[in-house]
Amino acid sequence: MIAVEQLTKIYGRRTALDAVSFEVPRGEIFGFVGPNGAGKTTTLRILAALMEPTTGRAFVDGADVTMQPDRVHERLGYMPDFFGVYDQLTSAEYLDFYAACYRQPRARRKKITDDLLELVGLSDRRDQAVDTLSRGLKQRLCLARALVHDPAVLLLDEPASGLDPRARVEMREILKELQKMGKTIVISSHILPELTELCTMVGIIDQGRMRATGPVLDVIRQLTSGRRLRITILGQREEAVAVLKPLPMIHALSALNGAIEAEYEGDDATAAAILQALTAAGIKVSGFSQLEGGLEDAFMRATEDAP
Amino acid sequence: MNPIAVALWNPIVAKEYRSRMRTWRSPVAMTVYILLLGGLGWAIFSSMTFSARNSFNTGQAANYGQGLFLYLVLFQMVLLAFITPALTAGAISSERERQTIDLLFVTKLPSFSILWGKLLASMSFVLLLLLLSVPIFSLVFLFGGIELDQLAAAFLVTAVSALTLGIIGIACSTAFRRTLPATVSAYGAAFILLAGSLLFGLLFPTDIDPNATTAPAPPAVTYLSPILPLLTIGTNGPINNFGVRNGNNNIYPTGGTGMACSTTPAGVQSCYPIGPGKGIVGGPSNPVQARGTTIPSGLFSGWQYWQATVTMQLALSLIALIVGAILLSPIRRLPWRRRTAAPVTT
Repeated sequence: MIAVEQLTKIYGRRTALDAVSFEVPRGEIFGFVGPNGAGKTTTLRILAALMEPTTGRAFVDGADVTMQPDRVHERLGYMPDFFGVYDQLTSAEYLDFYAACYRQPRARRKKITDDLLELVGLSDRRDQAVDTLSRGLKQRLCLARALVHDPAVLLLDEPASGLDPRARVEMREILKELQKMGKTIVISSHILPELTELCTMVGIIDQGRMRATGPVLDVIRQLTSGRRLRITILGQREEAVAVLKPLPMIHALSALNGAIEAEYEGDDATAAAILQALTAAGIKVSGFSQLEGGLEDAFMRATEDAP
Repeated sequence: MNPIAVALWNPIVAKEYRSRMRTWRSPVAMTVYILLLGGLGWAIFSSMTFSARNSFNTGQAANYGQGLFLYLVLFQMVLLAFITPALTAGAISSERERQTIDLLFVTKLPSFSILWGKLLASMSFVLLLLLLSVPIFSLVFLFGGIELDQLAAAFLVTAVSALTLGIIGIACSTAFRRTLPATVSAYGAAFILLAGSLLFGLLFPTDIDPNATTAPAPPAVTYLSPILPLLTIGTNGPINNFGVRNGNNNIYPTGGTGMACSTTPAGVQSCYPIGPGKGIVGGPSNPVQARGTTIPSGLFSGWQYWQATVTMQLALSLIALIVGAILLSPIRRLPWRRRTAAPVTT
């Protein structure tokens, strides 16, 4: 659905994007993660045909963003990180205006406006002036605006920035709803927890370079080498450590809130072998669980060795 | 809708009308406009009645009508030169400042439609002001001395000048990212159009050909200013000795010496040479005086002044519109440069 090939953007002497490539298949939610200034907004603006790449190509639903910007705009809903609203317009008029800009026929515009206000939960505010809405509501209205022409692809640049936790959860619910509707969504963010739960794919970008990209679990596995175990023991802590330390698959051990955290190399069978070794030595194990490496961990590792 | 209707009437126009008319600024602007124009009309009218009381001459009513008309059209032009740049100079730059322009660029509206919609919305307001002024101008017909075609020509010149100022304002608004520099440059352009072009006529006047059988005319650049045609329409007389070099004049070496048509309330007969040796002393300086309201010689020889002005301003508007459209597009590209795929580095 979205294909980015070797995208490079150079501003004067600064390289904002350095041969960035990734692909997002239809129906996926792609989390585009990176610190501020990493090149997320530049990539999204190029995808929205608002900027030309220095070199490289990008396609949205088969349409080349430099060659066919009109076709790209037809298929794409874009929500920028910063945006303003017009004063003197109500929410319904605001959506109707953009629906008209997308050349939706007049007869359909009322239904589109009503449906979208319903989707983002603003039906009761349809006659409220747009500039008097709170930031969270404006953000939702802007999301509705990006949907007036029923695009297949959504590009959302920091959709949750500046939102309070409740508004953030509501935004996430709306996005899940959109995923069910079959939209392909690209969300850029520097806030990781909101992406881990929502995204099916992730791309980590830093200083204009793509550090990792792919399905969320693959990226986490790829970046967090080694897995972790949390082992809770009834007494006998020293004995347990003495059993674990000589095992070749164990890299590191640490004590945490009365439990032992062990980093090891291997798969589920290796974990079973570790448990077996403990019980064979007569250690009373009351808890034994595998810890998934988080996206945050993966992100920190992906960006720490940057030049 | 057919393509022309789509091009002319786009959602931006409707949205601009809506938001413009919902503020208190528009009715206030209209009221102030009418008060200023009506106030000037009233002031001239009372000064005329005062002078008429002293020496009443039945034949002078027509002159009063012409005088009133001339003052009103000139004042209306100056008022619009102040209003129009303010209406258009922020049209695009304020969208940039408010960060709403990208939301328009990603819609199916072409850049030109955005520009055109903004222009149409602003110019409709100017047209509304012009229509509002019609009742005040109808006062002139109480006195007579002005034909309907003069009124129509004066309104046409005013409207086209306002359109030109509007388009230049929009072009400035696309060229500058901020509203302040856009507004300053739009006012600068308005000043150049109205007064700068006349100044050009004073600084670089036409040289007189002593063998010419036609009267000399000011340089063509001066026709850009709506002031010249409004003077000829209002006075129904020629422009003499403006923008024409006065050969053997030592006191006024560059000749011209300003507008010869000083417009007293008494009207027409006020066009006379003011520099020494102009047409009165004779000699090679100004052998033939212009008659009527046509341009006597030069590029637009035989044209009415207003025709030359309207033509030149429309040409200027077209250039400014094209420049504006090129500058507005998010990816600035000359129209004749084809889109090419960016190379893929390996």
